[in-house]
Amino acid sequence: MPDDHATPCLNCKKRNARWREDFPVEWENDEYITRREMVKFLALGSLTIAGANFILAGIPHVLQSGPLPKTKIGTASSVAAGSSQLFRYPTNDDPCILIRQTSGELVAYSQVCTHLSCAVIHDQKENTLFCPCHHGYFTVAEGRPYAGPPTRPLPRIRLEQEGDEIFAVGVEV
Amino acid sequence: MSTRQSQGTTLFTALLALIGISVVVQLWLLAATVDALLRHEAGTPLYAAIASGGLFVINGLLVLYVFGFDKKIKQR
Ligand code: FES
Repeated sequence: MPDDHATPCLNCKKRNARWREDFPVEWENDEYITRREMVKFLALGSLTIAGANFILAGIPHVLQSGPLPKTKIGTASSVAAGSSQLFRYPTNDDPCILIRQTSGELVAYSQVCTHLSCAVIHDQKENTLFCPCHHGYFTVAEGRPYAGPPTRPLPRIRLEQEGDEIFAVGVEV
Repeated sequence: MSTRQSQGTTLFTALLALIGISVVVQLWLLAATVDALLRHEAGTPLYAAIASGGLFVINGLLVLYVFGFDKKIKQR
């Protein structure tokens, strides 16, 4: 029976049912994505990514707590000139390195390389901070990168000395 | 296909490519944000988020424009 009669019969109604458009019997149609759908999908993806970016950008501001704690990290007499000692500051997940320079001055840095987060080590012979992952080098005096892939200096740990005791009091990024 | 319709198809394809490229740029910005966060850097994520938001606004305007154009063609 032709489709164009005035009041559609049951057969026509079945054939033109709305669900057939959304769930076509032919698999080719089922997999066919129109440009319109693709544009909508990309716009939605764009919104999701922008939203995720804003949430991530907000994390450091939300988590920012007050001033960092004053933590005892060792004694001055236990670090000989030209040697180093490891400690953790401000949390147990933040490895740091304390170095007594040959001049006698104490400096401390985060041990996390600013390239891809490997642990830097103190090379006593070369008097340098060395990252073995991609051969990054930092100066001991300032934590400044001077060779290899790192481009940003190591975060410096602010120190205070009371008698023989050394305290970490903050981080300079 | 009328001239106007084929013009619409070309426009649609071009804008689809443009939106696709800016979504890829947004993904790159997201990766840069995660990277900066892991380095405990607070400045970069903010700029990346602003740039990503800007790209979304541009994408949204392009989509609105293209659907408006589409509607106009269909009405003729
Ligand atoms: S992680 Fe240190 S140089 Fe690459």
